[in-house]
Amino acid sequence: MLGIVLAATTGDVTKAGKAIGLALGVGLGALGAGVGIGNIFGSMIQSVARQPELRGELQGIQWLGFALTEAVVFYGLLGSILAYVLV
Amino acid sequence: MKRLVFAACLLALALPAPAFARGHFDPTTEFEQHKWVSIQIGPLDLSITKAVVYLMLGTVLTILLGLVLMRGRVLDRRRTIGEQIYEVAQVQIAEQGLPTKAIGLWFPYVATLLLFIWVVNIIGFIPLPLTGETWHGIPTWGIYAATSSLAVTLALSLLTFVFTHFEGIRWNGPRRYFKSWIPEAPRALLFLIVPLEILGQFMRLISLSVRLFANMLAGHILILTFIGLLFILQSVILAVFVIPIAALFYVFEVVIVVSIQAFIFAALSAIYIGSAIEPQH
Repeated sequence: MLGIVLAATTGDVTKAGKAIGLALGVGLGALGAGVGIGNIFGSMIQSVARQPELRGELQGIQWLGFALTEAVVFYGLLGSILAYVLV
Repeated sequence: MKRLVFAACLLALALPAPAFARGHFDPTTEFEQHKWVSIQIGPLDLSITKAVVYLMLGTVLTILLGLVLMRGRVLDRRRTIGEQIYEVAQVQIAEQGLPTKAIGLWFPYVATLLLFIWVVNIIGFIPLPLTGETWHGIPTWGIYAATSSLAVTLALSLLTFVFTHFEGIRWNGPRRYFKSWIPEAPRALLFLIVPLEILGQFMRLISLSVRLFANMLAGHILILTFIGLLFILQSVILAVFVIPIAALFYVFEVVIVVSIQAFIFAALSAIYIGSAIEPQH
Protein backbone atom coordinates (compact mmCIF):
# COMPACT_ATOMS: atom_id res chain seq x y z
CA MET A 1 0.00 0.00 0.00
CA LEU A 2 2.78 2.33 1.02
CA GLY A 3 4.63 1.24 -2.09
CA ILE A 4 1.85 2.45 -4.32
CA VAL A 5 1.81 5.91 -2.75
CA LEU A 6 5.59 6.25 -2.85
CA ALA A 7 5.86 5.10 -6.44
CA ALA A 8 3.37 7.74 -7.54
CA THR A 9 5.32 10.53 -5.85
CA THR A 10 8.94 9.65 -6.50
CA GLY A 11 8.69 7.98 -9.89
CA ASP A 12 10.85 5.07 -8.72
CA VAL A 13 10.49 2.35 -11.37
CA THR A 14 11.68 -0.53 -9.17
CA LYS A 15 9.11 0.29 -6.54
CA ALA A 16 6.42 0.66 -9.17
CA GLY A 17 7.28 -2.78 -10.51
CA LYS A 18 7.15 -4.25 -7.03
CA ALA A 19 3.78 -2.65 -6.35
CA ILE A 20 2.39 -3.97 -9.63
CA GLY A 21 3.74 -7.43 -8.82
CA LEU A 22 2.15 -7.37 -5.37
CA ALA A 23 -1.19 -6.22 -6.73
CA LEU A 24 -1.15 -8.77 -9.56
CA GLY A 25 -0.29 -11.62 -7.19
CA VAL A 26 -3.07 -10.81 -4.75
CA GLY A 27 -5.53 -9.90 -7.48
CA LEU A 28 -5.11 -13.09 -9.49
CA GLY A 29 -5.24 -15.14 -6.30
CA ALA A 30 -8.47 -13.40 -5.35
CA LEU A 31 -9.86 -14.06 -8.84
CA GLY A 32 -9.40 -17.81 -8.45
CA ALA A 33 -10.70 -17.88 -4.91
CA GLY A 34 -13.70 -15.77 -5.90
CA VAL A 35 -14.72 -18.27 -8.57
CA GLY A 36 -14.14 -21.15 -6.18
CA ILE A 37 -16.09 -19.70 -3.27
CA GLY A 38 -18.96 -18.74 -5.56
CA ASN A 39 -19.04 -22.30 -6.82
CA ILE A 40 -19.15 -23.75 -3.32
CA PHE A 41 -21.98 -21.56 -2.07
CA GLY A 42 -23.88 -21.95 -5.34
CA SER A 43 -23.73 -25.73 -5.07
CA MET A 44 -24.71 -25.49 -1.41
CA ILE A 45 -27.83 -23.46 -2.27
CA GLN A 46 -28.77 -25.94 -4.99
CA SER A 47 -28.34 -28.98 -2.79
CA VAL A 48 -30.25 -27.45 0.12
CA ALA A 49 -33.05 -26.47 -2.26
CA ARG A 50 -33.26 -30.07 -3.42
CA GLN A 51 -32.85 -31.78 -0.07
CA PRO A 52 -33.38 -29.33 2.81
CA GLU A 53 -33.06 -32.11 5.39
CA LEU A 54 -29.34 -32.52 4.54
CA ARG A 55 -28.48 -28.92 5.46
CA GLY A 56 -26.77 -29.81 8.74
CA GLU A 57 -24.50 -32.41 7.20
CA LEU A 58 -23.68 -30.25 4.21
CA GLN A 59 -22.78 -27.24 6.31
CA GLY A 60 -19.63 -28.85 7.70
CA ILE A 61 -18.41 -29.75 4.22
CA GLN A 62 -19.33 -26.29 2.96
CA TRP A 63 -17.22 -24.48 5.54
CA LEU A 64 -14.33 -26.89 5.03
CA GLY A 65 -14.43 -26.19 1.30
CA PHE A 66 -14.79 -22.45 1.92
CA ALA A 67 -11.70 -22.27 4.11
CA LEU A 68 -9.65 -24.46 1.78
CA THR A 69 -10.55 -22.29 -1.21
CA GLU A 70 -10.16 -19.01 0.62
CA ALA A 71 -6.60 -19.95 1.58
CA VAL A 72 -5.66 -19.68 -2.11
CA VAL A 73 -5.74 -15.87 -1.87
CA PHE A 74 -3.34 -16.00 1.01
CA TYR A 75 -0.88 -18.22 -0.81
CA GLY A 76 -0.89 -15.57 -3.54
CA LEU A 77 -0.57 -12.81 -0.93
CA LEU A 78 2.32 -14.56 0.79
CA GLY A 79 4.13 -15.17 -2.47
CA SER A 80 3.76 -11.58 -3.57
CA ILE A 81 4.77 -10.18 -0.17
CA LEU A 82 7.87 -12.39 -0.34
CA ALA A 83 8.60 -11.07 -3.83
CA TYR A 84 7.94 -7.50 -2.63
CA VAL A 85 10.26 -7.78 0.35
CA LEU A 86 13.05 -9.90 -1.11
CA VAL A 87 13.46 -8.57 -4.66
CA MET B 1 -23.19 -6.12 28.71
CA LYS B 2 -22.17 -7.86 25.49
CA ARG B 3 -22.94 -4.70 23.55
CA LEU B 4 -20.87 -2.62 25.95
CA VAL B 5 -17.81 -4.85 25.53
CA PHE B 6 -18.26 -4.76 21.77
CA ALA B 7 -18.51 -0.96 21.72
CA ALA B 8 -15.42 -0.66 23.92
CA CYS B 9 -13.51 -2.94 21.55
CA LEU B 10 -14.47 -0.88 18.53
CA LEU B 11 -13.56 2.35 20.31
CA ALA B 12 -10.15 1.00 21.33
CA LEU B 13 -9.68 -0.17 17.76
CA ALA B 14 -10.60 3.21 16.35
CA LEU B 15 -7.94 4.87 18.47
CA PRO B 16 -4.68 3.24 17.47
CA ALA B 17 -2.69 4.45 20.43
CA PRO B 18 0.67 3.11 19.19
CA ALA B 19 0.37 5.44 16.23
CA PHE B 20 -0.22 8.43 18.47
CA ALA B 21 2.66 7.34 20.64
CA ARG B 22 5.13 7.13 17.75
CA GLY B 23 3.79 10.02 15.74
CA HIS B 24 3.71 7.92 12.57
CA PHE B 25 2.07 4.66 11.64
CA ASP B 26 3.47 1.68 9.79
CA PRO B 27 1.33 -1.47 9.92
CA THR B 28 4.29 -3.76 9.28
CA THR B 29 6.03 -2.81 12.52
CA GLU B 30 3.08 -4.21 14.48
CA PHE B 31 4.34 -7.72 13.74
CA GLU B 32 7.93 -7.27 14.88
CA GLN B 33 9.12 -9.35 17.82
CA HIS B 34 11.15 -7.62 20.51
CA LYS B 35 12.84 -9.55 23.30
CA TRP B 36 11.25 -8.56 26.59
CA VAL B 37 12.95 -11.13 28.81
CA SER B 38 16.07 -12.63 27.28
CA ILE B 39 16.48 -16.34 27.98
CA GLN B 40 19.35 -18.01 26.16
CA ILE B 41 20.12 -21.70 26.73
CA GLY B 42 23.07 -22.66 24.58
CA PRO B 43 22.06 -22.24 20.95
CA LEU B 44 18.37 -22.17 21.93
CA ASP B 45 16.77 -18.73 22.04
CA LEU B 46 13.83 -19.00 24.44
CA SER B 47 13.37 -15.27 24.96
CA ILE B 48 9.94 -14.05 25.96
CA THR B 49 8.47 -11.91 23.20
CA LYS B 50 5.02 -10.57 22.44
CA ALA B 51 4.01 -13.82 20.74
CA VAL B 52 5.17 -15.89 23.70
CA VAL B 53 3.14 -13.78 26.12
CA TYR B 54 0.07 -14.16 23.90
CA LEU B 55 0.61 -17.92 23.71
CA MET B 56 0.92 -18.19 27.50
CA LEU B 57 -2.23 -16.13 27.93
CA GLY B 58 -3.96 -18.37 25.39
CA THR B 59 -2.87 -21.49 27.23
CA VAL B 60 -4.16 -20.23 30.57
CA LEU B 61 -7.46 -19.13 29.02
CA THR B 62 -7.87 -22.50 27.26
CA ILE B 63 -7.41 -24.36 30.53
CA LEU B 64 -9.83 -22.00 32.29
CA LEU B 65 -12.35 -22.41 29.46
CA GLY B 66 -12.22 -26.16 29.91
CA LEU B 67 -12.56 -25.91 33.68
CA VAL B 68 -15.40 -23.38 33.59
CA LEU B 69 -17.44 -24.84 30.74
CA MET B 70 -17.08 -28.58 31.30
CA ARG B 71 -17.18 -28.93 35.11
CA GLY B 72 -20.31 -29.10 37.24
CA ARG B 73 -23.20 -31.52 37.77
CA VAL B 74 -26.23 -29.54 36.63
CA LEU B 75 -26.79 -28.79 32.96
CA ASP B 76 -27.12 -25.01 33.23
CA ARG B 77 -26.43 -22.46 30.51
CA ARG B 78 -22.67 -22.54 30.94
CA ARG B 79 -22.55 -26.33 30.72
CA THR B 80 -24.80 -26.25 27.65
CA ILE B 81 -22.23 -24.12 25.82
CA GLY B 82 -19.55 -26.58 26.88
CA GLU B 83 -21.63 -29.48 25.59
CA GLN B 84 -22.13 -27.71 22.27
CA ILE B 85 -18.39 -27.17 21.82
CA TYR B 86 -17.85 -30.82 22.76
CA GLU B 87 -20.39 -31.89 20.18
CA VAL B 88 -18.69 -29.87 17.44
CA ALA B 89 -15.35 -31.43 18.36
CA GLN B 90 -16.82 -34.93 18.59
CA VAL B 91 -19.31 -35.08 15.72
CA GLN B 92 -17.94 -32.58 13.20
CA ILE B 93 -14.22 -33.13 13.67
CA ALA B 94 -13.28 -36.42 15.35
CA GLU B 95 -15.96 -38.63 13.82
CA GLN B 96 -15.46 -37.13 10.36
CA GLY B 97 -11.72 -37.64 10.22
CA LEU B 98 -10.69 -40.37 12.62
CA PRO B 99 -11.53 -44.08 12.31
CA THR B 100 -13.68 -45.42 15.16
CA LYS B 101 -10.85 -47.36 16.78
CA ALA B 102 -8.70 -44.24 17.18
CA ILE B 103 -11.29 -41.69 18.34
CA GLY B 104 -10.68 -42.34 22.04
CA LEU B 105 -6.96 -41.85 21.59
CA TRP B 106 -6.91 -38.79 19.34
CA PHE B 107 -10.08 -36.91 20.30
CA PRO B 108 -8.26 -35.04 23.11
CA TYR B 109 -5.61 -33.83 20.68
CA VAL B 110 -7.97 -32.49 18.02
CA ALA B 111 -10.31 -30.97 20.60
CA THR B 112 -7.36 -29.22 22.25
CA LEU B 113 -6.23 -27.90 18.87
CA LEU B 114 -9.72 -26.55 18.21
CA LEU B 115 -10.01 -24.80 21.58
CA PHE B 116 -6.42 -23.56 21.76
CA ILE B 117 -6.30 -22.09 18.25
CA TRP B 118 -9.71 -20.52 18.73
CA VAL B 119 -8.66 -18.88 21.99
CA VAL B 120 -5.33 -17.64 20.60
CA ASN B 121 -7.12 -16.29 17.53
CA ILE B 122 -9.84 -14.53 19.48
CA ILE B 123 -7.51 -12.84 21.99
CA GLY B 124 -5.68 -11.56 18.93
CA PHE B 125 -8.70 -9.40 18.16
CA ILE B 126 -9.25 -8.06 21.67
CA PRO B 127 -7.21 -4.91 22.29
CA LEU B 128 -4.78 -5.65 25.12
CA PRO B 129 -2.06 -3.50 26.73
CA LEU B 130 0.66 -5.82 25.41
CA THR B 131 2.14 -3.81 22.56
CA GLY B 132 5.33 -3.22 24.49
CA GLU B 133 5.12 0.51 23.91
CA THR B 134 4.18 3.28 26.30
CA TRP B 135 2.51 6.61 25.82
CA HIS B 136 3.44 8.98 28.66
CA GLY B 137 4.09 5.96 30.86
CA ILE B 138 0.78 4.24 30.12
CA PRO B 139 1.06 0.97 28.17
CA THR B 140 -0.65 1.38 24.80
CA TRP B 141 -3.36 -1.00 23.69
CA GLY B 142 -3.20 -2.91 20.45
CA ILE B 143 -4.23 -6.07 18.66
CA TYR B 144 -1.84 -8.87 17.83
CA ALA B 145 -2.38 -12.60 17.34
CA ALA B 146 0.28 -15.15 18.11
CA THR B 147 -1.03 -17.22 15.21
CA SER B 148 -0.07 -14.45 12.79
CA SER B 149 3.53 -15.55 13.32
CA LEU B 150 4.68 -18.43 11.11
CA ALA B 151 6.78 -19.99 13.88
CA VAL B 152 3.69 -20.68 15.98
CA THR B 153 1.58 -22.23 13.24
CA LEU B 154 4.54 -24.21 11.88
CA ALA B 155 5.13 -25.69 15.35
CA LEU B 156 1.45 -26.67 15.56
CA SER B 157 1.45 -28.28 12.13
CA LEU B 158 4.76 -30.05 12.85
CA LEU B 159 2.98 -31.70 15.79
CA THR B 160 0.28 -32.99 13.45
CA PHE B 161 2.90 -34.01 10.86
CA VAL B 162 4.93 -36.04 13.38
CA PHE B 163 1.85 -37.64 14.94
CA THR B 164 0.52 -38.58 11.50
CA HIS B 165 3.56 -40.60 10.49
CA PHE B 166 4.13 -41.96 13.98
CA GLU B 167 0.59 -43.29 14.12
CA GLY B 168 0.75 -44.58 10.55
CA ILE B 169 3.83 -46.63 11.34
CA ARG B 170 2.53 -47.75 14.74
CA TRP B 171 -0.80 -49.08 13.45
CA ASN B 172 0.31 -50.48 10.09
CA GLY B 173 4.01 -51.21 10.43
CA PRO B 174 6.55 -49.27 8.39
CA ARG B 175 6.31 -51.46 5.28
CA ARG B 176 2.55 -51.37 4.88
CA TYR B 177 2.37 -47.70 5.76
CA PHE B 178 4.91 -46.48 3.24
CA LYS B 179 3.46 -48.86 0.65
CA SER B 180 0.10 -47.11 1.12
CA TRP B 181 1.68 -43.93 -0.24
CA ILE B 182 2.06 -45.60 -3.64
CA PRO B 183 -1.27 -45.31 -5.45
CA GLU B 184 -2.62 -47.87 -7.89
CA ALA B 185 -1.41 -46.73 -11.28
CA PRO B 186 0.25 -48.16 -14.35
CA ARG B 187 3.82 -49.16 -13.56
CA ALA B 188 5.27 -46.81 -16.15
CA LEU B 189 3.70 -43.77 -14.47
CA LEU B 190 4.85 -44.63 -10.95
CA PHE B 191 8.18 -42.83 -11.22
CA LEU B 192 6.18 -39.66 -11.85
CA ILE B 193 3.48 -40.20 -9.24
CA VAL B 194 5.53 -41.42 -6.27
CA PRO B 195 7.72 -38.29 -5.97
CA LEU B 196 4.56 -36.20 -6.17
CA GLU B 197 2.96 -38.23 -3.38
CA ILE B 198 6.04 -37.82 -1.18
CA LEU B 199 6.12 -34.11 -1.98
CA GLY B 200 2.40 -33.98 -1.14
CA GLN B 201 3.08 -35.22 2.38
CA PHE B 202 5.38 -32.23 2.94
CA MET B 203 3.03 -29.85 1.16
CA ARG B 204 0.45 -30.69 3.83
CA LEU B 205 2.85 -29.25 6.39
CA ILE B 206 3.19 -26.04 4.40
CA SER B 207 -0.48 -25.64 3.53
CA LEU B 208 -1.63 -26.36 7.09
CA SER B 209 0.71 -23.81 8.64
CA VAL B 210 0.50 -21.14 5.95
CA ARG B 211 -3.31 -21.23 5.84
CA LEU B 212 -3.71 -20.27 9.49
CA PHE B 213 -0.72 -17.90 9.52
CA ALA B 214 -1.67 -16.01 6.37
CA ASN B 215 -5.34 -15.76 7.32
CA MET B 216 -4.59 -14.16 10.65
CA LEU B 217 -1.78 -11.98 9.25
CA ALA B 218 -3.94 -10.74 6.38
CA GLY B 219 -6.84 -10.01 8.75
CA HIS B 220 -4.65 -7.93 11.03
CA ILE B 221 -2.88 -6.17 8.16
CA LEU B 222 -6.26 -5.25 6.61
CA ILE B 223 -7.58 -3.70 9.82
CA LEU B 224 -4.32 -1.94 10.66
CA THR B 225 -3.78 -0.67 7.12
CA PHE B 226 -7.23 0.84 6.82
CA ILE B 227 -6.76 2.69 10.10
CA GLY B 228 -3.17 3.45 9.12
CA LEU B 229 -4.36 5.19 5.96
CA LEU B 230 -5.45 8.03 8.26
CA PHE B 231 -1.85 8.54 9.35
CA ILE B 232 -0.14 7.73 6.06
CA LEU B 233 -2.29 10.14 4.05
CA GLN B 234 -2.49 12.64 6.96
CA SER B 235 -6.19 13.33 6.64
CA VAL B 236 -8.85 13.21 9.34
CA ILE B 237 -11.79 13.34 6.90
CA LEU B 238 -10.84 9.85 5.71
CA ALA B 239 -11.97 8.55 9.11
CA VAL B 240 -15.56 8.63 7.84
CA PHE B 241 -14.74 5.93 5.28
CA VAL B 242 -11.85 4.16 6.89
CA ILE B 243 -13.15 3.34 10.34
CA PRO B 244 -16.42 1.70 9.18
CA ILE B 245 -14.45 -0.44 6.70
CA ALA B 246 -11.95 -1.43 9.40
CA ALA B 247 -14.86 -2.22 11.75
CA LEU B 248 -16.50 -4.31 9.02
CA PHE B 249 -13.34 -6.37 8.51
CA TYR B 250 -13.01 -6.66 12.28
CA VAL B 251 -16.50 -8.13 12.61
CA PHE B 252 -15.92 -10.44 9.63
CA GLU B 253 -12.70 -11.73 11.14
CA VAL B 254 -14.10 -12.20 14.64
CA VAL B 255 -17.39 -13.81 13.59
CA ILE B 256 -16.28 -16.04 10.72
CA VAL B 257 -12.54 -16.36 10.16
CA VAL B 258 -11.43 -16.99 13.75
CA SER B 259 -13.76 -19.94 14.31
CA ILE B 260 -13.42 -21.38 10.81
CA GLN B 261 -9.63 -21.42 10.88
CA ALA B 262 -9.58 -23.16 14.27
CA PHE B 263 -12.16 -25.65 12.99
CA ILE B 264 -10.25 -26.28 9.74
CA PHE B 265 -6.96 -26.80 11.48
CA ALA B 266 -8.44 -29.34 13.88
CA ALA B 267 -10.51 -31.05 11.17
CA LEU B 268 -7.58 -31.39 8.77
CA SER B 269 -5.37 -32.70 11.59
CA ALA B 270 -8.02 -35.33 12.33
CA ILE B 271 -8.30 -36.24 8.64
CA TYR B 272 -4.52 -36.53 8.20
CA ILE B 273 -4.06 -38.66 11.32
CA GLY B 274 -7.11 -40.75 10.45
CA SER B 275 -5.92 -41.39 6.90
CA ALA B 276 -2.54 -42.51 8.20
CA ILE B 277 -4.10 -44.94 10.70
CA GLU B 278 -6.40 -46.42 8.09
CA PRO B 279 -4.83 -45.98 4.64
CA GLN B 280 -7.07 -46.28 1.62
CA HIS B 281 -5.39 -49.33 0.17
